[in-house]
Amino acid sequence: MRRQMTNFTVTTWLLLLAAWVLSGDRFLDWAYQMPDLGPLDDRLLDLLTWLDDRRAALGLGDVFGRLRSWLHATTGLG
Amino acid sequence: MLFPTLAFILFYGVVLILNLAVDGRPALRKAMLIAASYVFYGAWDERFLLLMGGVTAVAWLAGLLVTRPGWRRPVLILSITALLGTLGVFKYADFFVLSLSQLLARMGLERDMVWVGLVLPVGISFYVFQAISYVVDVARGDVPARRNAADVALYISFFPQLVAGPIVRARDFLPQIDAPHPPSAGERGEAVLLILTGLLKKLVIANYLGVLLVDPAFATPLQLDTLTAWAALLGYAIQIYCDFSGYSDIAIGVALLLGYRFRRNFNQPYRATSLRDFWRRWHISLSTYIRDYLYIPLGGNRGGLLQQALVLIACFTLSGFWHGAAWSFLLWGLLHGLALAGERLCQARGLRLPALPGWGLTCLIVLLLWLPFRAPDLIIVRDYLGALFGQAAAEAPPILPALWGLLALGLALNWAPLTLRGRAIAVLGRLPAPAQALTLGTGVFLAFAIAQEGTSPFIYFQF
Repeated sequence: MRRQMTNFTVTTWLLLLAAWVLSGDRFLDWAYQMPDLGPLDDRLLDLLTWLDDRRAALGLGDVFGRLRSWLHATTGLG
Repeated sequence: MLFPTLAFILFYGVVLILNLAVDGRPALRKAMLIAASYVFYGAWDERFLLLMGGVTAVAWLAGLLVTRPGWRRPVLILSITALLGTLGVFKYADFFVLSLSQLLARMGLERDMVWVGLVLPVGISFYVFQAISYVVDVARGDVPARRNAADVALYISFFPQLVAGPIVRARDFLPQIDAPHPPSAGERGEAVLLILTGLLKKLVIANYLGVLLVDPAFATPLQLDTLTAWAALLGYAIQIYCDFSGYSDIAIGVALLLGYRFRRNFNQPYRATSLRDFWRRWHISLSTYIRDYLYIPLGGNRGGLLQQALVLIACFTLSGFWHGAAWSFLLWGLLHGLALAGERLCQARGLRLPALPGWGLTCLIVLLLWLPFRAPDLIIVRDYLGALFGQAAAEAPPILPALWGLLALGLALNWAPLTLRGRAIAVLGRLPAPAQALTLGTGVFLAFAIAQEGTSPFIYFQF
Protein backbone atom coordinates (compact mmCIF):
# COMPACT_ATOMS: atom_id res chain seq x y z
CA MET A 1 0.00 0.00 0.00
CA ARG A 2 2.89 2.29 0.78
CA ARG A 3 4.39 1.84 -2.67
CA GLN A 4 1.05 2.55 -4.32
CA MET A 5 0.66 5.69 -2.24
CA THR A 6 4.15 6.76 -3.32
CA ASN A 7 3.16 6.29 -6.97
CA PHE A 8 -0.04 8.24 -6.33
CA THR A 9 1.82 11.13 -4.70
CA VAL A 10 4.55 11.30 -7.35
CA THR A 11 1.91 11.32 -10.11
CA THR A 12 -0.06 14.13 -8.46
CA TRP A 13 3.12 16.26 -8.27
CA LEU A 14 3.90 15.56 -11.94
CA LEU A 15 0.34 16.56 -12.82
CA LEU A 16 0.71 19.75 -10.82
CA LEU A 17 3.83 20.50 -12.84
CA ALA A 18 1.89 19.79 -16.05
CA ALA A 19 -0.95 22.05 -14.88
CA TRP A 20 1.56 24.82 -14.25
CA VAL A 21 3.11 24.45 -17.71
CA LEU A 22 -0.36 24.58 -19.33
CA SER A 23 -1.75 27.49 -17.31
CA GLY A 24 -0.07 30.56 -18.74
CA ASP A 25 1.13 32.94 -16.07
CA ARG A 26 -1.69 32.08 -13.62
CA PHE A 27 0.50 30.10 -11.25
CA LEU A 28 2.75 33.10 -10.83
CA ASP A 29 -0.30 35.30 -10.17
CA TRP A 30 -1.58 32.79 -7.61
CA ALA A 31 1.87 32.55 -6.03
CA TYR A 32 1.80 36.32 -5.45
CA GLN A 33 -1.61 35.96 -3.76
CA MET A 34 -0.44 33.24 -1.36
CA PRO A 35 0.15 33.99 2.34
CA ASP A 36 3.39 35.83 3.06
CA LEU A 37 6.07 33.37 4.14
CA GLY A 38 8.20 36.00 5.83
CA PRO A 39 11.95 35.79 5.10
CA LEU A 40 11.37 32.95 2.61
CA ASP A 41 8.88 34.94 0.56
CA ASP A 42 11.26 36.95 -1.64
CA ARG A 43 13.50 33.98 -2.40
CA LEU A 44 10.54 31.77 -3.23
CA LEU A 45 8.99 34.36 -5.52
CA ASP A 46 12.36 34.90 -7.26
CA LEU A 47 12.60 31.15 -7.84
CA LEU A 48 9.01 30.93 -9.12
CA THR A 49 9.56 33.90 -11.45
CA TRP A 50 12.69 32.25 -12.83
CA LEU A 51 10.81 28.96 -13.32
CA ASP A 52 7.91 30.77 -14.94
CA ASP A 53 10.29 32.38 -17.44
CA ARG A 54 11.48 28.86 -18.38
CA ARG A 55 7.84 27.78 -18.75
CA ALA A 56 7.06 30.73 -21.02
CA ALA A 57 10.07 29.84 -23.16
CA LEU A 58 8.44 26.47 -23.93
CA GLY A 59 5.76 28.39 -25.86
CA LEU A 60 2.87 26.08 -24.98
CA GLY A 61 0.46 28.96 -24.45
CA ASP A 62 -2.45 29.23 -22.05
CA VAL A 63 -4.31 25.92 -22.50
CA PHE A 64 -6.11 26.47 -19.18
CA GLY A 65 -7.39 29.88 -20.32
CA ARG A 66 -8.66 28.48 -23.63
CA LEU A 67 -10.36 25.57 -21.85
CA ARG A 68 -11.90 28.01 -19.40
CA SER A 69 -13.27 30.26 -22.15
CA TRP A 70 -14.67 27.25 -24.00
CA LEU A 71 -16.32 25.82 -20.87
CA HIS A 72 -17.86 29.16 -19.94
CA ALA A 73 -19.14 29.75 -23.46
CA THR A 74 -20.54 26.21 -23.75
CA THR A 75 -22.29 26.18 -20.37
CA GLY A 76 -23.43 29.81 -20.38
CA LEU A 77 -21.65 30.41 -17.06
CA GLY A 78 -18.86 32.79 -16.25
CA MET B 1 -6.15 28.65 3.43
CA LEU B 2 -9.23 27.51 1.56
CA PHE B 3 -9.45 24.02 0.07
CA PRO B 4 -10.01 25.03 -3.58
CA THR B 5 -6.90 27.22 -3.88
CA LEU B 6 -3.40 26.72 -5.21
CA ALA B 7 -2.03 27.49 -1.74
CA PHE B 8 -3.89 24.51 -0.29
CA ILE B 9 -2.98 22.21 -3.19
CA LEU B 10 0.72 22.96 -2.66
CA PHE B 11 0.39 22.65 1.12
CA TYR B 12 -1.44 19.34 0.82
CA GLY B 13 1.04 18.04 -1.75
CA VAL B 14 3.86 18.66 0.72
CA VAL B 15 1.87 17.01 3.54
CA LEU B 16 1.30 13.91 1.37
CA ILE B 17 5.06 13.59 0.82
CA LEU B 18 5.86 14.12 4.51
CA ASN B 19 3.15 11.64 5.49
CA LEU B 20 4.88 9.01 3.37
CA ALA B 21 8.27 9.95 4.80
CA VAL B 22 7.12 9.37 8.39
CA ASP B 23 5.16 6.19 7.64
CA GLY B 24 5.87 3.57 10.31
CA ARG B 25 6.97 6.21 12.86
CA PRO B 26 3.78 7.13 14.72
CA ALA B 27 5.33 9.78 17.01
CA LEU B 28 6.93 11.61 14.09
CA ARG B 29 3.73 11.30 12.10
CA LYS B 30 1.73 12.89 14.90
CA ALA B 31 4.26 15.71 15.23
CA MET B 32 4.24 16.31 11.47
CA LEU B 33 0.43 16.39 11.25
CA ILE B 34 0.15 18.73 14.26
CA ALA B 35 2.76 21.06 12.75
CA ALA B 36 0.96 20.97 9.37
CA SER B 37 -2.37 21.67 11.05
CA TYR B 38 -0.94 24.64 12.94
CA VAL B 39 0.57 26.01 9.71
CA PHE B 40 -2.83 25.55 8.03
CA TYR B 41 -4.63 27.38 10.83
CA GLY B 42 -1.93 30.01 11.24
CA ALA B 43 -2.31 30.95 7.56
CA TRP B 44 -5.56 32.70 8.58
CA ASP B 45 -4.22 34.49 11.60
CA GLU B 46 -1.28 33.30 13.63
CA ARG B 47 -2.65 34.96 16.81
CA PHE B 48 -5.34 32.29 17.01
CA LEU B 49 -2.76 29.49 17.27
CA LEU B 50 -2.40 30.40 20.93
CA LEU B 51 -6.16 30.14 21.37
CA MET B 52 -6.30 26.70 19.78
CA GLY B 53 -3.32 25.65 21.89
CA GLY B 54 -5.13 26.88 25.01
CA VAL B 55 -8.30 24.97 24.15
CA THR B 56 -6.16 21.86 23.60
CA ALA B 57 -4.39 22.33 26.94
CA VAL B 58 -7.70 22.66 28.82
CA ALA B 59 -9.10 19.52 27.17
CA TRP B 60 -5.94 17.50 27.77
CA LEU B 61 -5.64 18.53 31.43
CA ALA B 62 -9.36 18.00 32.08
CA GLY B 63 -9.09 14.55 30.47
CA LEU B 64 -6.32 13.61 32.90
CA LEU B 65 -8.15 14.91 35.98
CA VAL B 66 -11.74 13.98 35.23
CA THR B 67 -11.29 10.27 35.95
CA ARG B 68 -9.90 10.83 39.46
CA PRO B 69 -12.29 9.70 42.18
CA GLY B 70 -14.47 12.62 43.30
CA TRP B 71 -13.10 14.97 40.66
CA ARG B 72 -15.51 14.11 37.84
CA ARG B 73 -18.20 16.71 38.45
CA PRO B 74 -16.02 19.73 39.33
CA VAL B 75 -13.60 19.06 36.47
CA LEU B 76 -16.45 18.65 34.00
CA ILE B 77 -18.13 21.86 35.16
CA LEU B 78 -14.89 23.87 35.17
CA SER B 79 -13.56 22.65 31.85
CA ILE B 80 -16.86 22.92 29.97
CA THR B 81 -17.39 26.39 31.44
CA ALA B 82 -13.90 27.41 30.34
CA LEU B 83 -14.38 26.01 26.83
CA LEU B 84 -17.88 27.40 26.32
CA GLY B 85 -16.76 30.66 27.94
CA THR B 86 -14.00 30.98 25.33
CA LEU B 87 -16.54 30.41 22.58
CA GLY B 88 -18.93 32.85 24.22
CA VAL B 89 -16.38 35.66 24.52
CA PHE B 90 -15.11 35.38 20.96
CA LYS B 91 -18.40 34.64 19.26
CA TYR B 92 -21.24 36.10 21.29
CA ALA B 93 -19.96 38.89 23.54
CA ASP B 94 -20.51 41.76 21.10
CA PHE B 95 -23.85 40.34 20.03
CA PHE B 96 -25.12 40.51 23.61
CA VAL B 97 -23.65 44.01 24.07
CA LEU B 98 -25.35 45.16 20.86
CA SER B 99 -28.67 43.57 21.82
CA LEU B 100 -28.54 45.15 25.28
CA SER B 101 -27.65 48.52 23.79
CA GLN B 102 -30.60 48.32 21.36
CA LEU B 103 -32.94 47.27 24.16
CA LEU B 104 -31.84 50.16 26.39
CA ALA B 105 -32.19 52.61 23.49
CA ARG B 106 -35.77 51.47 22.92
CA MET B 107 -36.48 52.05 26.59
CA GLY B 108 -34.98 55.52 26.33
CA LEU B 109 -32.01 54.54 28.48
CA GLU B 110 -29.16 54.93 25.98
CA ARG B 111 -25.72 54.18 27.39
CA ASP B 112 -22.16 54.06 26.03
CA MET B 113 -21.42 50.36 25.92
CA VAL B 114 -18.09 48.58 26.26
CA TRP B 115 -17.46 46.53 23.12
CA VAL B 116 -15.26 43.47 23.23
CA GLY B 117 -14.29 43.95 19.57
CA LEU B 118 -12.70 40.55 19.02
CA VAL B 119 -12.32 38.99 15.58
CA LEU B 120 -14.14 35.64 15.35
CA PRO B 121 -11.45 32.95 15.01
CA VAL B 122 -12.32 30.73 12.07
CA GLY B 123 -13.51 27.26 13.07
CA ILE B 124 -13.73 28.03 16.81
CA SER B 125 -17.24 26.56 17.10
CA PHE B 126 -16.00 23.29 15.66
CA TYR B 127 -12.83 22.76 17.65
CA VAL B 128 -14.35 23.89 20.94
CA PHE B 129 -17.10 21.31 20.43
CA GLN B 130 -14.49 18.64 19.72
CA ALA B 131 -12.60 19.59 22.87
CA ILE B 132 -15.81 19.24 24.92
CA SER B 133 -16.52 15.92 23.22
CA TYR B 134 -13.11 14.61 24.34
CA VAL B 135 -13.56 15.64 27.99
CA VAL B 136 -17.11 14.26 28.21
CA ASP B 137 -16.20 11.01 26.46
CA VAL B 138 -13.31 10.49 28.88
CA ALA B 139 -15.60 11.26 31.85
CA ARG B 140 -18.14 8.77 30.56
CA GLY B 141 -15.48 6.12 30.08
CA ASP B 142 -16.04 5.98 26.31
CA VAL B 143 -12.37 6.74 25.61
CA PRO B 144 -9.36 6.46 27.90
CA ALA B 145 -7.68 9.75 28.87
CA ARG B 146 -4.60 10.44 26.79
CA ARG B 147 -1.41 11.09 28.75
CA ASN B 148 0.32 12.19 25.57
CA ALA B 149 -0.80 15.77 24.88
CA ALA B 150 0.11 15.28 21.20
CA ASP B 151 -2.82 12.86 20.80
CA VAL B 152 -5.30 15.48 22.01
CA ALA B 153 -3.56 18.21 20.00
CA LEU B 154 -3.87 16.20 16.80
CA TYR B 155 -7.50 15.30 17.51
CA ILE B 156 -8.44 18.95 17.99
CA SER B 157 -6.29 20.54 15.29
CA PHE B 158 -6.27 17.95 12.46
CA PHE B 159 -6.51 20.28 9.48
CA PRO B 160 -9.02 18.53 7.16
CA GLN B 161 -11.86 19.04 9.66
CA LEU B 162 -10.45 21.95 11.64
CA VAL B 163 -12.37 24.93 10.30
CA ALA B 164 -15.77 23.61 9.20
CA GLY B 165 -16.13 20.06 10.42
CA PRO B 166 -17.34 17.42 10.27
CA ILE B 167 -17.25 17.41 14.08
CA VAL B 168 -15.19 14.31 14.72
CA ARG B 169 -15.65 12.32 17.92
CA ALA B 170 -12.69 11.42 20.08
CA ARG B 171 -13.79 7.77 20.19
CA ASP B 172 -13.73 7.62 16.37
CA PHE B 173 -10.48 9.48 15.80
CA LEU B 174 -8.11 8.60 18.65
CA PRO B 175 -7.97 4.84 17.90
CA GLN B 176 -6.97 5.73 14.33
CA ILE B 177 -3.89 7.67 15.42
CA ASP B 178 -2.75 4.61 17.35
CA ALA B 179 -2.80 2.45 14.24
CA PRO B 180 -2.12 4.65 11.21
CA HIS B 181 -1.93 3.02 7.81
CA PRO B 182 -1.60 4.23 4.21
CA PRO B 183 -4.96 4.18 2.42
CA SER B 184 -5.88 1.05 0.47
CA ALA B 185 -6.62 1.24 -3.27
CA GLY B 186 -10.34 1.29 -2.48
CA GLU B 187 -9.92 4.11 0.03
CA ARG B 188 -7.89 6.12 -2.49
CA GLY B 189 -10.65 5.62 -5.05
CA GLU B 190 -13.23 6.78 -2.52
CA ALA B 191 -11.10 9.81 -1.62
CA VAL B 192 -10.73 10.78 -5.29
CA LEU B 193 -14.48 10.57 -5.79
CA LEU B 194 -15.20 12.59 -2.64
CA ILE B 195 -12.73 15.35 -3.49
CA LEU B 196 -14.00 15.68 -7.06
CA THR B 197 -17.66 15.61 -6.00
CA GLY B 198 -16.90 18.22 -3.35
CA LEU B 199 -15.20 20.50 -5.86
CA LEU B 200 -18.09 20.13 -8.30
CA LYS B 201 -20.57 20.99 -5.55
CA LYS B 202 -18.60 23.97 -4.29
CA LEU B 203 -16.87 25.52 -7.30
CA VAL B 204 -19.56 24.89 -9.88
CA ILE B 205 -22.96 24.60 -8.24
CA ALA B 206 -22.79 26.54 -4.96
CA ASN B 207 -20.64 29.45 -6.13
CA TYR B 208 -22.55 30.13 -9.36
CA LEU B 209 -25.97 29.76 -7.75
CA GLY B 210 -24.88 32.07 -4.96
CA VAL B 211 -23.50 34.85 -7.13
CA LEU B 212 -25.90 34.73 -10.07
CA LEU B 213 -29.20 33.82 -8.41
CA VAL B 214 -29.35 33.87 -4.61
CA ASP B 215 -27.34 36.98 -3.69
CA PRO B 216 -29.21 39.31 -6.10
CA ALA B 217 -32.58 37.88 -5.00
CA PHE B 218 -31.91 38.43 -1.30
CA ALA B 219 -30.49 41.91 -1.96
CA THR B 220 -33.74 43.20 -3.47
CA PRO B 221 -36.61 40.80 -2.68
CA LEU B 222 -39.29 43.38 -3.51
CA GLN B 223 -38.19 43.35 -7.13
CA LEU B 224 -38.71 39.60 -7.55
CA ASP B 225 -41.62 37.95 -9.30
CA THR B 226 -43.07 34.89 -7.61
CA LEU B 227 -41.29 32.33 -9.83
CA THR B 228 -37.88 33.97 -9.32
CA ALA B 229 -38.46 34.24 -5.58
CA TRP B 230 -39.21 30.51 -5.30
CA ALA B 231 -36.38 29.59 -7.69
CA ALA B 232 -33.89 31.67 -5.68
CA LEU B 233 -35.05 30.12 -2.41
CA LEU B 234 -34.65 26.66 -3.93
CA GLY B 235 -31.31 27.92 -5.24
CA TYR B 236 -30.24 28.77 -1.69
CA ALA B 237 -31.35 25.36 -0.41
CA ILE B 238 -29.15 23.76 -3.07
CA GLN B 239 -26.34 26.28 -2.61
CA ILE B 240 -26.00 25.65 1.12
CA TYR B 241 -26.29 21.89 0.64
CA CYS B 242 -23.61 21.88 -2.08
CA ASP B 243 -21.41 24.37 -0.23
CA PHE B 244 -21.39 22.58 3.10
CA SER B 245 -21.63 18.97 1.95
CA GLY B 246 -19.00 19.86 -0.69
CA TYR B 247 -16.67 21.04 2.07
CA SER B 248 -17.40 17.89 4.09
CA ASP B 249 -16.74 15.67 1.05
CA ILE B 250 -13.39 17.34 0.40
CA ALA B 251 -12.47 17.18 4.11
CA ILE B 252 -13.33 13.46 4.31
CA GLY B 253 -11.44 12.75 1.07
CA VAL B 254 -8.37 14.75 2.13
CA ALA B 255 -8.27 12.92 5.48
CA LEU B 256 -8.77 9.54 3.81
CA LEU B 257 -5.70 10.03 1.59
CA LEU B 258 -3.72 10.59 4.80
CA GLY B 259 -5.10 7.37 6.28
CA TYR B 260 -7.90 8.70 8.52
CA ARG B 261 -11.60 8.06 8.08
CA PHE B 262 -14.35 10.46 9.14
CA ARG B 263 -18.02 9.57 9.19
CA ARG B 264 -20.37 10.92 6.54
CA ASN B 265 -21.80 14.34 7.34
CA PHE B 266 -24.67 14.37 4.82
CA ASN B 267 -26.93 11.66 3.52
CA GLN B 268 -29.17 13.04 0.77
CA PRO B 269 -31.01 15.42 3.11
CA TYR B 270 -33.64 16.59 0.63
CA ARG B 271 -34.96 13.03 0.34
CA ALA B 272 -36.19 13.20 3.94
CA THR B 273 -39.84 12.32 4.47
CA SER B 274 -40.09 14.00 7.88
CA LEU B 275 -38.22 16.68 9.79
CA ARG B 276 -36.80 14.07 12.11
CA ASP B 277 -35.53 12.22 9.04
CA PHE B 278 -34.08 15.48 7.68
CA TRP B 279 -32.02 16.04 10.80
CA ARG B 280 -30.69 12.50 10.55
CA ARG B 281 -29.39 13.38 7.09
CA TRP B 282 -28.24 17.02 7.42
CA HIS B 283 -24.98 17.96 9.19
CA ILE B 284 -25.09 14.56 10.84
CA SER B 285 -22.04 15.22 13.00
CA LEU B 286 -23.73 18.25 14.62
CA SER B 287 -27.15 16.56 14.96
CA THR B 288 -25.66 13.52 16.67
CA TYR B 289 -23.47 15.77 18.81
CA ILE B 290 -26.50 17.74 20.03
CA ARG B 291 -28.35 14.47 20.62
CA ASP B 292 -25.55 12.83 22.63
CA TYR B 293 -24.27 15.82 24.61
CA LEU B 294 -27.42 17.89 25.07
CA TYR B 295 -30.70 16.18 24.20
CA ILE B 296 -30.10 12.91 26.07
CA PRO B 297 -28.51 14.51 29.18
CA LEU B 298 -31.47 16.93 29.35
CA GLY B 299 -33.90 14.04 29.52
CA GLY B 300 -34.20 13.00 25.88
CA ASN B 301 -37.04 10.59 25.26
CA ARG B 302 -37.33 9.63 28.93
CA GLY B 303 -39.90 12.19 30.04
CA GLY B 304 -43.47 12.77 28.91
CA LEU B 305 -44.39 14.16 25.53
CA LEU B 306 -44.46 17.76 26.73
CA GLN B 307 -41.02 17.46 28.31
CA GLN B 308 -39.64 15.86 25.14
CA ALA B 309 -41.08 18.71 23.08
CA LEU B 310 -39.58 21.36 25.35
CA VAL B 311 -36.17 19.70 25.32
CA LEU B 312 -36.32 19.43 21.53
CA ILE B 313 -37.16 23.12 21.18
CA ALA B 314 -34.36 24.11 23.59
CA CYS B 315 -31.81 21.94 21.78
CA PHE B 316 -32.68 23.24 18.34
CA THR B 317 -32.73 26.85 19.49
CA LEU B 318 -29.23 26.40 20.91
CA SER B 319 -28.17 24.60 17.75
CA GLY B 320 -29.43 27.56 15.71
CA PHE B 321 -27.51 29.94 17.95
CA TRP B 322 -24.38 27.82 17.53
CA HIS B 323 -24.48 28.74 13.83
CA GLY B 324 -24.03 32.43 14.49
CA ALA B 325 -24.50 35.31 16.87
CA ALA B 326 -27.66 36.73 15.31
CA TRP B 327 -31.36 36.67 16.10
CA SER B 328 -32.08 35.18 12.69
CA PHE B 329 -30.11 32.00 13.51
CA LEU B 330 -31.84 31.78 16.87
CA LEU B 331 -35.19 32.12 15.11
CA TRP B 332 -34.22 29.47 12.55
CA GLY B 333 -33.31 27.02 15.31
CA LEU B 334 -36.41 27.85 17.34
CA LEU B 335 -38.72 27.33 14.36
CA HIS B 336 -37.10 24.00 13.53
CA GLY B 337 -37.49 22.98 17.17
CA LEU B 338 -41.16 23.98 17.19
CA ALA B 339 -41.82 22.18 13.92
CA LEU B 340 -40.07 19.04 15.17
CA ALA B 341 -41.96 19.14 18.45
CA GLY B 342 -45.22 19.54 16.50
CA GLU B 343 -44.29 16.61 14.29
CA ARG B 344 -43.53 14.45 17.31
CA LEU B 345 -46.83 15.33 18.99
CA CYS B 346 -48.72 14.48 15.78
CA GLN B 347 -46.90 11.17 15.43
CA ALA B 348 -47.63 10.33 19.07
CA ARG B 349 -51.33 10.72 18.23
CA GLY B 350 -51.00 8.40 15.26
CA LEU B 351 -50.97 11.16 12.63
CA ARG B 352 -48.25 10.05 10.24
CA LEU B 353 -48.11 11.20 6.63
CA PRO B 354 -47.38 8.74 3.83
CA ALA B 355 -43.94 9.07 2.24
CA LEU B 356 -44.77 11.35 -0.71
CA PRO B 357 -46.86 13.99 1.13
CA GLY B 358 -44.43 13.72 4.03
CA TRP B 359 -41.54 14.49 1.68
CA GLY B 360 -43.41 17.42 0.15
CA LEU B 361 -44.30 18.94 3.51
CA THR B 362 -40.77 18.43 4.86
CA CYS B 363 -39.25 20.09 1.77
CA LEU B 364 -41.63 23.04 2.08
CA ILE B 365 -40.88 23.59 5.78
CA VAL B 366 -37.12 23.23 5.33
CA LEU B 367 -37.19 25.53 2.31
CA LEU B 368 -39.16 28.26 4.07
CA LEU B 369 -37.00 28.02 7.17
CA TRP B 370 -33.88 28.68 5.09
CA LEU B 371 -35.28 32.20 4.74
CA PRO B 372 -34.32 33.49 8.21
CA PHE B 373 -31.05 31.55 7.93
CA ARG B 374 -30.02 33.34 4.73
CA ALA B 375 -31.62 36.75 5.12
CA PRO B 376 -29.34 39.38 6.68
CA ASP B 377 -32.19 40.69 8.85
CA LEU B 378 -35.84 40.15 9.65
CA ILE B 379 -36.99 42.97 7.31
CA ILE B 380 -35.61 41.02 4.34
CA VAL B 381 -37.43 37.92 5.66
CA ARG B 382 -40.70 39.87 5.64
CA ASP B 383 -40.10 41.30 2.15
CA TYR B 384 -39.06 37.91 0.79
CA LEU B 385 -42.18 36.25 2.20
CA GLY B 386 -44.19 38.95 0.40
CA ALA B 387 -42.45 38.06 -2.88
CA LEU B 388 -43.12 34.35 -2.33
CA PHE B 389 -46.80 34.80 -1.55
CA GLY B 390 -48.27 37.28 -3.95
CA GLN B 391 -46.80 40.74 -3.45
CA ALA B 392 -44.48 40.14 -6.37
CA ALA B 393 -43.11 42.59 -8.90
CA ALA B 394 -44.93 42.31 -12.22
CA GLU B 395 -41.81 41.40 -14.15
CA ALA B 396 -38.30 40.42 -13.12
CA PRO B 397 -35.28 39.60 -15.30
CA PRO B 398 -35.44 35.98 -16.54
CA ILE B 399 -33.29 33.35 -14.89
CA LEU B 400 -30.34 32.20 -17.01
CA PRO B 401 -30.95 28.73 -18.53
CA ALA B 402 -27.59 27.59 -17.11
CA LEU B 403 -28.89 28.29 -13.60
CA TRP B 404 -31.86 25.97 -14.13
CA GLY B 405 -29.26 23.41 -15.17
CA LEU B 406 -27.30 23.95 -11.95
CA LEU B 407 -30.48 23.62 -9.86
CA ALA B 408 -31.19 20.31 -11.61
CA LEU B 409 -27.59 19.14 -11.12
CA GLY B 410 -27.70 20.01 -7.42
CA LEU B 411 -30.92 18.08 -6.99
CA ALA B 412 -29.50 15.17 -8.97
CA LEU B 413 -26.48 15.00 -6.64
CA ASN B 414 -28.87 14.89 -3.69
CA TRP B 415 -30.98 12.17 -5.32
CA ALA B 416 -28.32 10.00 -6.98
CA PRO B 417 -28.77 6.40 -5.82
CA LEU B 418 -26.21 5.28 -3.26
CA THR B 419 -25.52 2.21 -5.41
CA LEU B 420 -24.21 4.55 -8.13
CA ARG B 421 -21.76 6.05 -5.66
CA GLY B 422 -20.72 2.55 -4.58
CA ARG B 423 -20.13 1.56 -8.21
CA ALA B 424 -18.07 4.68 -8.92
CA ILE B 425 -15.91 3.98 -5.86
CA ALA B 426 -15.46 0.37 -6.96
CA VAL B 427 -14.37 1.45 -10.46
CA LEU B 428 -11.96 4.08 -9.12
CA GLY B 429 -10.69 1.66 -6.48
CA ARG B 430 -9.67 -0.86 -9.16
CA LEU B 431 -7.53 1.67 -11.04
CA PRO B 432 -3.76 1.64 -10.53
CA ALA B 433 -2.50 4.43 -8.27
CA PRO B 434 -1.13 6.65 -11.12
CA ALA B 435 -4.49 6.42 -12.92
CA GLN B 436 -6.29 7.42 -9.72
CA ALA B 437 -3.99 10.43 -9.43
CA LEU B 438 -4.58 11.26 -13.10
CA THR B 439 -8.34 11.18 -12.52
CA LEU B 440 -7.95 13.46 -9.52
CA GLY B 441 -5.61 15.87 -11.29
CA THR B 442 -7.74 16.11 -14.43
CA GLY B 443 -10.87 16.63 -12.37
CA VAL B 444 -9.29 19.38 -10.28
CA PHE B 445 -7.97 21.08 -13.46
CA LEU B 446 -11.46 21.00 -15.02
CA ALA B 447 -13.15 22.21 -11.83
CA PHE B 448 -10.77 25.17 -11.59
CA ALA B 449 -11.30 25.90 -15.28
CA ILE B 450 -15.07 26.13 -15.00
CA ALA B 451 -15.06 27.95 -11.65
CA GLN B 452 -15.59 31.68 -11.28
CA GLU B 453 -12.63 34.02 -10.96
CA GLY B 454 -11.52 34.53 -7.37
CA THR B 455 -12.42 32.42 -4.37
CA SER B 456 -15.61 32.34 -2.31
CA PRO B 457 -15.28 31.22 1.30
CA PHE B 458 -17.43 28.30 2.43
CA ILE B 459 -20.68 29.41 4.08
CA TYR B 460 -19.97 27.43 7.24
CA PHE B 461 -16.61 29.18 7.78
CA GLN B 462 -18.50 32.03 9.46
CA PHE B 463 -19.81 29.65 12.12
